Amino acid sequence: MSAYPLAAAAFVLFALAAAGFLTCGSLVRMLMFLELMLNAANIALVALGPETVSQAYAVMLFAIAAAEAGVGLALILALSSVFKTLEPENIKELKG
Amino acid sequence: MIAAAVYLFGGLAALATLLMIFQKNQVKAAMLMLAALLSTAGLYLALSAQLLAALQIILYAGAIMTLFVVALTILPSAWRDRPSKGRFSKVLGLAAAAVILTELLKVSAILKTVPFLREFSETGTLDLARALFGRFAFQFELLSLVILASIVAAVALTSKRGAV
Repeated sequence: MSAYPLAAAAFVLFALAAAGFLTCGSLVRMLMFLELMLNAANIALVALGPETVSQAYAVMLFAIAAAEAGVGLALILALSSVFKTLEPENIKELKG
Repeated sequence: MIAAAVYLFGGLAALATLLMIFQKNQVKAAMLMLAALLSTAGLYLALSAQLLAALQIILYAGAIMTLFVVALTILPSAWRDRPSKGRFSKVLGLAAAAVILTELLKVSAILKTVPFLREFSETGTLDLARALFGRFAFQFELLSLVILASIVAAVALTSKRGAV
């Protein structure tokens, strides 16, 4: 087996998650697809990189994904309590 | 054997992500995301990364998914499940994703000549620990700052005074 099917699997997952991110209309679901995109990048890293080094970086990326989900959901909660909506199209103002 | 497992789990993850795009119900979408994440854990097992598979199940499928389900539970139901985007923007989004996929596959065509030589083996957790606490100790310690900052940000954003 060549390394191409592994890369293709990771890229297909990334593209599907990107498609979901660009087409869905809810902030929570956008964050879910963002996590899936990071997950696909992680797969590519583990599959194509040198064994120990890529796995070490993948462990670090897990922690970054967890931090990202926490901050993202906190942002969504704060935004939704101000704007009373979860649709990104209805959030148009920026307040300093 | 490894190739079959890669195709199986990769296909399952792709199918779950595809179904998630067309799923209207948020909680069902979260369950499909869980299926995609568990399939990814299978993919890690096929790639002889047993520790990563365990971490994937504990962190992604456990902690992060719980966070998403809790967020879906506490957000008022009136704000959910409203199809908002128009057909044009959806087609545009799908086209952009197709372009991304085509470019990525085109760039990675060079990998067709690179053989995948890794055999199924034990995880090498000791090597991984040596790398994390030796060669990458600085990066690993920096991660604690990232997590600390994210905790502070999450608390500040969700407390009453710190609202946007």
